[in-house]
Amino acid sequence: MAKHLHGNSYSAQQARTGNKPDKVAGMVVKDGVISPSGSNDPDFDTWLSQQLQFNEPHLDDDGFCERVMADLPPAPAKRSERRATRYQYAAVVAASAIVCWQFPLDEVLAQAAQQSISLYSLVGVAVLSSLVAMTGGIFAARR
Amino acid sequence: MNLNDEDLIRRVVEDGDQRAYAQLVRRYQSQLRFSLRQLCDGDQGLADDMAQEAFIKAYKALPAFRGDARFSTWLYRIAYNLVMSHKRKNAPEVDQEAVDRAQSDQSVEEAQQLGMARDLNSAMGELSDAQRQAVHLCMQRGFSHEEAASIMKLPLGTVKSHVNRARAKLQTLLQAWREEVVSG
Repeated sequence: MAKHLHGNSYSAQQARTGNKPDKVAGMVVKDGVISPSGSNDPDFDTWLSQQLQFNEPHLDDDGFCERVMADLPPAPAKRSERRATRYQYAAVVAASAIVCWQFPLDEVLAQAAQQSISLYSLVGVAVLSSLVAMTGGIFAARR
Repeated sequence: MNLNDEDLIRRVVEDGDQRAYAQLVRRYQSQLRFSLRQLCDGDQGLADDMAQEAFIKAYKALPAFRGDARFSTWLYRIAYNLVMSHKRKNAPEVDQEAVDRAQSDQSVEEAQQLGMARDLNSAMGELSDAQRQAVHLCMQRGFSHEEAASIMKLPLGTVKSHVNRARAKLQTLLQAWREEVVSG
């Protein structure tokens, strides 16, 4: 059987007005905080905490977690971003190294020395190569 | 494997591991939804929507979470802000049907509860909103006064006063039960 609160020494109406406890217990001001005297009962605090926690129902997930996860935005992780960036740099460096390795630099220089190809053509090839390399780099970074 | 909050947060932020975040959601969903139901005056639909929004907002802001406070404190702060902001915006619009439905559900549940639970609920009902929230956060959720003050956006002294006044009221209202426990 439940204990009837209204049967206690003060009624619900008095509880609502908040007068009775102040009059009963009196008020104490400590460190600028107003508190009823005699209210610091650690046993009561423990008991009350236990009762509050014991009487709290556990709410079943009931699809809540799935709804939250479905609405989460896809966030790229910092570590995977860094890893992807490192791979991109490595790919660009490797590609550049292969191009440099395969490029017939000696022949081009020799031909340039013999002026068998025009300087304008050489500059044109260089600009074109730079553009291709930059486009490739940008494309790789976007991927 | 049960990882602590810090490890799960690290996995979410550094590896983008959404399963780790799902674990955090499962860990706190019941407590947060229950707390928000009280804050939303029993409107369970609204409380769940707010809890869902809070989890999503927390996820988006997780890279900025510095770990100064516990994750639960931070999450509650976000959720309380959302509810208060919603209340300010939608003050005149109360979903009375949802409230009535929730209250009728609650009545059925209450009828099944033991007397202690009923009297405790009744005693909690005698407290002001602020007192009830302060007691809920400090004595039910185990937040410190400082954490509760941060969540409720109130000065520390005000929260302590709310807790002390609420404790005194509850002590008086639940005296009969206490005496029964003490006397065995």
